[in-house]
Amino acid sequence: MSWLTSYANLASAYIKINFKSLLAYRGAFISQMVAMFINDFVWIAFWCLFFTRFPVVKGWGVNDVITLWAIAASGFGLAHMIMGNALALPGIIMRGELDSWLLYPRAVLPHLLLGKSSASSWGDFLFGIVVYVIFVKPDLPHFTLLMALICSVAVLFVGFSVFTGSLAFFMGSAESVSTQLRIAMITFSTYPSPIFQGFVKILLFTLLPAMFVSHLPVSALRNMSMIDALYSFGGALGVLFAGIIMFYVGLRRYESGNLMEMRG
Amino acid sequence: MSKYFYIALTSIRSRLAYLGELGSKTIFLFVVLYIFLCLWKVTYAETNQSSLGGLSLKQMLWYLVVTESIIMSLPTIATLVDQDVRTGALAMQLVRPMSYPLNMLAQTSGERVLSFALNFLVGSIIALTFVGPLDFNISGIAMFLLLIPLSFALDFTIYFLIGLAAFWLEDTTGLTLIYSRMTMILGGMLIPLELFPDGWQQILRVLPFSAIVYGPARVFVTGDLQVFLSVLIQQIVAILVFAFVIRIVYNLALRRVFSHGG
Repeated sequence: MSWLTSYANLASAYIKINFKSLLAYRGAFISQMVAMFINDFVWIAFWCLFFTRFPVVKGWGVNDVITLWAIAASGFGLAHMIMGNALALPGIIMRGELDSWLLYPRAVLPHLLLGKSSASSWGDFLFGIVVYVIFVKPDLPHFTLLMALICSVAVLFVGFSVFTGSLAFFMGSAESVSTQLRIAMITFSTYPSPIFQGFVKILLFTLLPAMFVSHLPVSALRNMSMIDALYSFGGALGVLFAGIIMFYVGLRRYESGNLMEMRG
Repeated sequence: MSKYFYIALTSIRSRLAYLGELGSKTIFLFVVLYIFLCLWKVTYAETNQSSLGGLSLKQMLWYLVVTESIIMSLPTIATLVDQDVRTGALAMQLVRPMSYPLNMLAQTSGERVLSFALNFLVGSIIALTFVGPLDFNISGIAMFLLLIPLSFALDFTIYFLIGLAAFWLEDTTGLTLIYSRMTMILGGMLIPLELFPDGWQQILRVLPFSAIVYGPARVFVTGDLQVFLSVLIQQIVAILVFAFVIRIVYNLALRRVFSHGG
């Protein structure tokens, strides 16, 4: 338990430091947040237009897609505003920059992930919550479950980024592959899940676990189904676990880049 | 004029050295086209219609191949201009015996043509695999080939203007993002204009976004002469207007250039 408290304190300290460092470039930070807000809003506009013309797609209405975007955007945002280095993992491994992280008396992976905050992710996180509150107008139980599911999706995105980023231990230059896989995962996560059938659906429950972002959390919120919520959490923990194993197995193959590096 | 042609050619040749990087981006194109195929398949089935917005499912996927290829082939025009302004590299460009805007047009057009060709090739393979060949007609392809360079030129003028805004603004990335997203949504990249609410369609048809994305794609899949003529006029007028605005803004901007030796 004290181990958990210790890491919670570390996370809290890193969040504060990272936020302060983002605020050092206030203009850039705000503009990146606003840009991400606009980017996400365009997709909501697309879906509103789409559902104006075709009100129901396989049982999904506009509110379901807005819920989906709220969960996906906020989950992705929460993941990378706290653990921003998850996005940079393949580059860090490839350039041999893990050395400095290996010297700390903390577990390497959580410490490394906490080391940076992605500025645009703050925009994603806020966007999801704002759009859900404005368009869906949830009551307290729905809002509480939304927040819990955002945490679940954040865990899943961190796990997936770690898993794909750790490919760099095995492939060397894995930045492009990792980015493409992450983009594919995000893209599949942001469309109504019932449109995918057959083999692709199996793929989206396994190798590209987008169904744990789109299908199960939306179903959990729509029906207030604790079973679906538990499945979402289970899937997210499974992906995180796979990511951790992949990282530490890969770490045995890591070779130092002999880089001189200073962390401020 | 030939020097700009050679700049474009050099740009294509230098991009060819990084074909792998360009190719890796087509994975995303595959994902997007597959998802849209699934979405539209379901939509056609649920509405029990064989044609939506005047397009069959096959035409809809080919339409998306063109729109996605146009959008995904975009070079970072505004960012390049922005950097030239911010770093002072523009001063070096000005002493060269060539027009900076035309140099930039040639440079980015070369890159865009190559990227578009690659995306279009991959997109066509995907469309052929999933929905089969389109009923092409030669005149439709000819009209499309005429509209595409004008579409790129029009898009360039707007991005170039945004880049020039770096003379007055602290950061142009926000403007670039807003414009690119407006092109995606209002240009008909995701949905053909015919499927927008009726009141919107008339407005969207006169905005430049539709002349960049919707027009060439619609002409490619339908070979509609009337659409071709209206898009062609729209493109020419918009290019002339934006070129005129660039001339004014560029001349104003040059007054703010201060350079020193070194």
